[in-house]
Amino acid sequence: MNTLKKVQSKEKKETKKKLTWSQIGIQIKNNWQLYVMVLPVVLYFFIVEYLPMYGVQIAFRDYKITQGITGSKWVGFKHFENFFNAYYFERLITNTLVLNIMNLVCNFPIPIFLAIFLNQVRNDKRKRFIQTTIYVPHFISTVVLAGMLYIFLGPTTGILNHARVALGLGTYDFMAEAEAFRWIYVLSGIWQGAGYGTILYIAGLAGVDPALYEAAEIDGASVWQKIWHIDIPTLIPTAVMVFILDCGKVLSSNTTKTLVLQTTGNISVSDIIGTYTYQIGLNGGQFSYSSAIGLFTNLINLVLILTANKISKKISDVGLF
Amino acid sequence: MKTRKFKDMSSSNKVFYIFNAILWGLVLFVTIYPLYLVVISSISNPDLVATGQVTLYPKDISFIGYESVFQNKEIWIGYANSLFYTVVHIVLSVVITLLCAYAMSRKVFPGKKLINLYFVITMFISGGLIPSFLTIRNLGWYNTRWVLIFMGSCSVWNLMVARTYIQTTIPDELYEAAKLDGASHFQYFGKVVLPLSKTIMSVLSIYYGVGTWNDYFNGLVYIKDRNKLPLQTILREILAVISSRAGDAMLTEEMAQQSMEETMRIANSAKYCTIVIATVPIVLLYILLQKHFEKGVMIGSLKG
Repeated sequence: MNTLKKVQSKEKKETKKKLTWSQIGIQIKNNWQLYVMVLPVVLYFFIVEYLPMYGVQIAFRDYKITQGITGSKWVGFKHFENFFNAYYFERLITNTLVLNIMNLVCNFPIPIFLAIFLNQVRNDKRKRFIQTTIYVPHFISTVVLAGMLYIFLGPTTGILNHARVALGLGTYDFMAEAEAFRWIYVLSGIWQGAGYGTILYIAGLAGVDPALYEAAEIDGASVWQKIWHIDIPTLIPTAVMVFILDCGKVLSSNTTKTLVLQTTGNISVSDIIGTYTYQIGLNGGQFSYSSAIGLFTNLINLVLILTANKISKKISDVGLF
Repeated sequence: MKTRKFKDMSSSNKVFYIFNAILWGLVLFVTIYPLYLVVISSISNPDLVATGQVTLYPKDISFIGYESVFQNKEIWIGYANSLFYTVVHIVLSVVITLLCAYAMSRKVFPGKKLINLYFVITMFISGGLIPSFLTIRNLGWYNTRWVLIFMGSCSVWNLMVARTYIQTTIPDELYEAAKLDGASHFQYFGKVVLPLSKTIMSVLSIYYGVGTWNDYFNGLVYIKDRNKLPLQTILREILAVISSRAGDAMLTEEMAQQSMEETMRIANSAKYCTIVIATVPIVLLYILLQKHFEKGVMIGSLKG
């Protein structure tokens, strides 16, 4: 035991001190296995992330398969200019922003709210049951979710329209109406994600010192007051972080979900940047143009997330980095 | 914290708990009812379902939908494909994620910061869909089964959760002791870390398993042969493509025609059945590993 402690403190000292190159060399030699261990993941990210980052230069070229990435002609910002001047540019940006901001505003507060109220469920068994249940929709696939929406909202056989008819409202073809699309997207997102979104906040609340609640109780605080003065302040840092991350996604909405919910009826509002890049890029074969749009979106997202981070650091001292 | 009896509470607290009970009743109903409705509709007489008479319990039980689904060969090929992709994907991704997370959790690991930066950058910058597609095609992986196994086999988020888990639940003293006994990192990993990591392995299995099983997009983008398609990509055609934008190019016109007719033929009730069949494995996985799941997620996300 003693030797163990000695070794430990010795190592601590060693890591604290500035190491000489030869010491680093010895560490590398002693720990070469660690490099083998990270290698698969390093390779994975190289292929999935870094090679495409290199390939994104086709946004500045006229990519032709026969000429390859670096062999294709350099055209500068041509594709970007084309995109900015295209007549659907405004529509795409508006659709994407409206859909995502609506989604963010509606989806963000609900998990916080749910976590706080779940934390007050006093019976442990009931609490666990609720938790297990509200996570379930998260495991439903996008396609199945869309399938359920098509069935339940169907114009003639859907249950919602049966309910409407019963109430004397007449049928409504939800999936074919542009005005319904955004709400379908947002509400189904809440159904699927709100319960699962509580995890982070529940973990945060689990970290609250019980003595704090006890002290509050002795002082005669009601549940509402405990929530307001203990729970909410506890959750703010987590909430801010989630919000910053969400802000970075404002232009890169859930393409896969939008794609399956897109119909000829709602295309005027469901045509977003993500689905558009897919359609013209993979279906239309306009690789360079589509890459340019993708690059543009990614840059905006990066700027957004950095800005959100900076603002939040200024206001609340909470930030991602 | 002592829980007081309900009748001893102040009236404002009573209001709170009544409100809370109603809230959770509603939330649970909204969460479960759509799923319940799908299940009871899948085993009821299709005509009663179509006219909206099945709302609370199955009526005139019939398995006609399931029969028609069982006859659809494509669904079963997709099913087998997805099972294969998911199982292999889980094994591959859990192994490489844990190995990497273990290495990243070591105190003495020259270059750790740099490697970490290499991972974190990918959370903020990405090449986008088309460059990824071209990369895969240039590697010769287009239209191979491997690409569906490979895609998504690590995520920075999971890596961080796993690293935090190892850091917080496996004491460093264990490693020091093993090192004194002459154990290498691989030996220590295999004999000490792995047996102590069941919880995080369950969590990762769920994450990666759900990710692969539920994904239709990679199948849509990277696979051409219909007999290699995962279940979700095929389901998309059955469940959602009728009203989808015309001329969806992944399908040739002929195929679109064919899938149209197919969709028409398979009655509404078959849709309910496909939903049930497609969702059962993933919900089973969740229920099976649920015990570990909550604990692991909590530990991992506490200091994420």
